Amino acid sequence: MAGVAESYEPRTQLAAIATVRWQIFLHSLRSKRGALELFSRIVIGAVITCGGLGGAILLGVSAWYFVAHGKPEALALLLWPVFLFWQMFPLMATALSESIDSTNLLRFPLSYRTYVMVRLVYGALDPATVLGSFWLVGITLGIGWARPGLMPWAFVVLLVFAAVNMMLTQMIFAWVERWIGQRRTREIFAVLFFLAMISLQLIGPMLSRYGDRSNAAFHWAGRFANPIQAVLPPGIAAGAVASKAASHTALAFVFLGALVLYAVVILRVLSVRLHAQFRGENLSEVVGPGGGAATRPLVRLAWNIPGLSQEAAAVIEKEFRYLSRSGPVLLTFVTPIVMLFVFGLGGRSGSGAGFLQNWPELSLPVGAAYALLLLTNLIYNNFGPDAGGIQFFLVSPASFRSVMIGKNIAHMGVLAVELVALWIGVCLLFRPPTATALLITLSGLLFAAPVNLAAGNLLSLYSPKKTEFGTFGRQRASQTTVLASFAIQGVVFGVAATNLLLARNYGQQWLAVAGFFALSVLAFAFYFFVLKRLDRLARRRREVLTTELCK
Amino acid sequence: MLQDIQSDGAPTPANFPAISTANLTRRFGELVAVNDVNLQVAPGQFFGFLGPNGAGKSTTIKMLTGLLAPTSGRIEILGLDFADRTAEVKRQIGVVPEGLALFGRLTGAEYLTFVGRMYGLDRETTAKRTAELLEFMQLANEPRKLVTDYSHGMQKKLALAAAVIHGPKILFLDEPFEGVDAIAAGTLKTMLQRMIARGATIFLTSHVLEIVERLCSHVAIIDRGTLVAQGSLEELRAGVESQAQGASEGGPGSKLTLEEIFLHTVGGSRSAEQELSWLG
Repeated sequence: MAGVAESYEPRTQLAAIATVRWQIFLHSLRSKRGALELFSRIVIGAVITCGGLGGAILLGVSAWYFVAHGKPEALALLLWPVFLFWQMFPLMATALSESIDSTNLLRFPLSYRTYVMVRLVYGALDPATVLGSFWLVGITLGIGWARPGLMPWAFVVLLVFAAVNMMLTQMIFAWVERWIGQRRTREIFAVLFFLAMISLQLIGPMLSRYGDRSNAAFHWAGRFANPIQAVLPPGIAAGAVASKAASHTALAFVFLGALVLYAVVILRVLSVRLHAQFRGENLSEVVGPGGGAATRPLVRLAWNIPGLSQEAAAVIEKEFRYLSRSGPVLLTFVTPIVMLFVFGLGGRSGSGAGFLQNWPELSLPVGAAYALLLLTNLIYNNFGPDAGGIQFFLVSPASFRSVMIGKNIAHMGVLAVELVALWIGVCLLFRPPTATALLITLSGLLFAAPVNLAAGNLLSLYSPKKTEFGTFGRQRASQTTVLASFAIQGVVFGVAATNLLLARNYGQQWLAVAGFFALSVLAFAFYFFVLKRLDRLARRRREVLTTELCK
Repeated sequence: MLQDIQSDGAPTPANFPAISTANLTRRFGELVAVNDVNLQVAPGQFFGFLGPNGAGKSTTIKMLTGLLAPTSGRIEILGLDFADRTAEVKRQIGVVPEGLALFGRLTGAEYLTFVGRMYGLDRETTAKRTAELLEFMQLANEPRKLVTDYSHGMQKKLALAAAVIHGPKILFLDEPFEGVDAIAAGTLKTMLQRMIARGATIFLTSHVLEIVERLCSHVAIIDRGTLVAQGSLEELRAGVESQAQGASEGGPGSKLTLEEIFLHTVGGSRSAEQELSWLG
């Protein structure tokens, strides 16, 4: 290849990647759907910016207060929530995660360094990173407002803190994806996870048991926890700023060094996973020669579900097989139970107790609402995991109505299992829910679920997005769907809250149940109205479906 | 083996073509991808649909199988109007589309079971045919392997197995031999020939002209969205020979190959020296 100036410079390649992404973005605007996506992105971006600015102001004022009143070490109280949000939000709201699967770039002569840079840059597009960065800027400005001389140092410390957060998020995603990517590691992960849950469960009873000595216990807990938090990134960052404020420059550098060390270690651990991906790792569940040595095919009779068409039964069977092989999705399903444990932590009712300890009656309805909310990741993009399989639905004689009924029943089956798990969790952690709470929860779901299913069936046809069940994160939801989701949840929660408030106003809780039943009639009417029109809509949307899902 | 897998139901009336289109047109904005195509495929034919890249082959097959709506024109399958009796038509056809339409996170057996049920087969028949097809396609040795982990050739074989599990009367295949090794191609060809022997109609697009020439009895050629030739291989050969009056294409006494007919019809030839000198 004479005369060719080959350049594998990372800068050139990064510029090429940025250019191609820009071109893809511009081309996407050619269709109405692309323009709608842009509009949705702008609206969501505005919401995130508002949240970021609001949080930045609040945190900035708090930082100013702490530093101006000589308590810079209390900055840890601000940095811990930022840290926890940064790490938890991407897990709790995967639809909003902006990270993009960069493994498809591996076919190009990309150096490992460039690949890592691409991954880190993509990671910086995550809303959690954007919000976290806003808030850290707010804290930096608050510190600078109180003591201008401290601002450059605070800027450097919080910049490293931001890098730690950004890389830690990616590290967690990359490793969790690895652990739940294959059956054996997934089982080990599940066992560890449940052991952790049981351990957490013990905290509440222990605090209650020693409740009469709660002050002493809390002081002891504080004394015990403080040194631990001080050696973790938020504590170290706060320590670095506090030491500099106290003119202990050497100590401040030690803290900063420790923070940098965290960044290096996290990058190193992340790098193990990235390197495996870079070398073309395949996390599929291929059974090795020994494991799958059966000579006869494993053919079982298909499921037979009385009362359902065989097409719907086949779709339900297929959905459950898909879900059972997706560690990431299974992990999403247990998140409501995790949240129950997290918000249920604490001692007796009172200021020191967890949110749900103070209002245990809310635990089941809140858990159920959260479970349904998480399920919308699937419900709102029914065909996303099917990808090219959508062509089969289009060429097969089965109606889209049957297909959707199958998918809807499968998803409601998941919700039912989650409800049972939540009920058990509530019983163990708090006390068995009252009959009223149970009825309100169930009737509320009878209203909320059909609305979400109907909306999801429409959105699945109008803004489909190919997703991969086997990967954790690195998926991008349709921004139109995300925006529509906000609107639908706003309406559903608004109506539900109004109904509950009215019942409370009249002092008759059964009124809420009756109200939800009445609303559920409307919701089911809406659901069947949409269901009836699905075949026609699917025929009209078949080009969009194949174009988006067969990419 | 595969005794069940043949055209179910009533035989096709001889007076209806298996596939018939009238003024089939598809526009994408300004671009006319398929323009006034009138196709006639008789029952029992092994029909090859050829054309250069971007000629409109895939667009046509997508319209014939319900993956794409025509802008105008009419499609009849076995005498049934596709637009009016969509489900009835779909029950009688099998399709291997360009993207194969597989569900990656199922095993091969689970996928075939799912497809069988979606086509209305009972549980026992589905299980029996699934086992037979996996065996025939040599996919039975790794029963726990997910479809996503199959090689390209294995995926093609599985897609073909899925397309025939309900015993379709017409089989549509979009580039079935692309990316398939000689062993897998042999398996596919054996199955297709058996189907033809049992009275099914096969409509395939392919760039591998040798295979089309060996398998197909009838051929149509589309170029820039317009149907430029249609008929049996002998008819096309005779047409080209009469145009060229036995001049340069083929020597005296030798039959024109399909490749020569194709190149003559679409006018494609490229000077090897004209471009890409840097390739060395």
